[in-house]
Amino acid sequence: MPGSRLSKWVVAVPMALLALATIYPLVFTANVAMKTRRDYVLDRFSPTTSLHWDNIVTAWTSVGMARYFANSVIVVTISVVVLLLLGSMAGFALSQLRFRGSKALFLGCLAALFIPFQVIMVPLARVMADSGLIDTYPGLILAYVAQFLPFTIFLMTSYYKTIPPEIVDAARIDGNTTYGVYRRIMLPMGTPALLSVGILNALFCWNDVLISLLMMPSADHRTLMVGVTALRGQYSDDIPTFASGVLIAAVPVLMIYLFLQRQIADGVTAGSTKG
Amino acid sequence: MAIRDTSPLARPADSGRAGGGEIRRRARHGGTGTISRTLRSERLAPFVLVAPAVLIIVALRLWPLLLGVNFSFTGDGERNGTMVGLDNYLDLFQDPLFRGALRNVGLLVLLLPVAVAIPGLLATFIYLRVPGHRVFRSVYFFPAVLSPVIVGAIFNLMLAFDGPLNTVLAGIGVGPIDWLGDPDVAMFAVVGVQIWATFGMALVVFLAGFATLDSALLDAARVDGASLPQIIWHVIIPSLTRTIQFVFVTTMIGMLTSMFGLLYVMTSGGPEGSTYLPEYYIWIQQGQMNRPALASAASTILFVIMLVVGLLQISVLRRAGRED
Repeated sequence: MPGSRLSKWVVAVPMALLALATIYPLVFTANVAMKTRRDYVLDRFSPTTSLHWDNIVTAWTSVGMARYFANSVIVVTISVVVLLLLGSMAGFALSQLRFRGSKALFLGCLAALFIPFQVIMVPLARVMADSGLIDTYPGLILAYVAQFLPFTIFLMTSYYKTIPPEIVDAARIDGNTTYGVYRRIMLPMGTPALLSVGILNALFCWNDVLISLLMMPSADHRTLMVGVTALRGQYSDDIPTFASGVLIAAVPVLMIYLFLQRQIADGVTAGSTKG
Repeated sequence: MAIRDTSPLARPADSGRAGGGEIRRRARHGGTGTISRTLRSERLAPFVLVAPAVLIIVALRLWPLLLGVNFSFTGDGERNGTMVGLDNYLDLFQDPLFRGALRNVGLLVLLLPVAVAIPGLLATFIYLRVPGHRVFRSVYFFPAVLSPVIVGAIFNLMLAFDGPLNTVLAGIGVGPIDWLGDPDVAMFAVVGVQIWATFGMALVVFLAGFATLDSALLDAARVDGASLPQIIWHVIIPSLTRTIQFVFVTTMIGMLTSMFGLLYVMTSGGPEGSTYLPEYYIWIQQGQMNRPALASAASTILFVIMLVVGLLQISVLRRAGRED
């Protein structure tokens, strides 16, 4: 019986072990990143005796992680802003305004949600190449926006549906046009959803490797995740530097996770409860 | 609905009153030109708001889908642009790498119940408030936010022949196992890592489902003296059919479409091509072998697989839900 004290601990101990197994790989990597090459070869498991920041510096400067980091920040930031703007505009129209074809548009959006990138990546690469957008920032940003827009619209539409139409009516009586309602009512009232969807989109874009690999072939246009994959080839015999590169790429995400865990979980579950 | 359809092209939802008031007020301020301009602008507003999104989705998602299907019936290289009928599809099914990729999809489908049961069971325990449930919840969820590239890179170290996992196993007298070098083991190792990386996501979805569970049902079952397995089987599973269905479908989609990063970093499809999945095959044919038309045919097959798997699961689970 789950109520009894003993059986609770019978469950809790394996769960604690699992939690350890969840955390340990990252701790191990961080520990390795702080070791010298010699220490690593001699004993990779023991807690590092010195904080050897040189590996991080090497990964950051000579391997080009700094450049990749900057590329990722630029692309992710612009992509998320565009996604939130277009997603909230469309979400507002689809949830609060009635116009011919709105139902069909929403269904089309849902259908697009179920087209995985792998299915369209070959023709998309061709379309991008034909329009000269391949290997450019706008090209990659467009690819990200196209990839995550259906999801963004879906969540923004379900969120805006919870706003009572009386509020929109009242704003109109006060003399607002539709655009005024969007700017003065919908954007401010949508903040919680925009935050949640924005964080999720930022994670998706930051963590992506396939789209970036396909859209940004040249080396100095690499995003951070592609950079990490390249690092593996270059530093296969210098594991501490490799681990440092991995750590650099993981830290921003861990920071976001530590501070914004609730928003991430909200975004993930919104699709399951409202879908 | 019928009345709505015959109403003017666009108007705010449920706002007959408000719209009228607005027109009247504007009429007092400006001339007729202003009215018609405002009206036209208002009528067009919804379309202006959705236009950029629609344009991007149509041009960069729906159009490429059609383009790709069409593309899969044309040739590569010398036969570029000419229609070749089903040649690409015949080539695919003669390619041992692609057949291996399909076999691995079968393996994923077989392992799917495990990938759903683990987070389901853990969510149940967290819901029943095992000691430390808050901590477990946040710890389990954390790998879900890491990129497959990061996860793959970390597990390259963890699963190395002289790495931590084999060291632990040696302690209990097992192994060493060549996790990523043995063709019979590598795919299981990669799937295991995928489950490690994503079970937190499913866990959070399950917990959201538990929040809608009627706790009176649980209490009643407890008063009747039901055991934990009985509670799970007779109360929790029937009440959470929708959530379970959602997790099944999203986990399967995740396995078919988000393992590229892991494969790319951990095995590159090897050893001996044993860890190919359709998405990795598409990438290799497109990027390395320069056979985009063949890759398009593989894409089309992947799309069909996803449709079939998705629809099958939904219908099977629907039926199961109805019988209860």
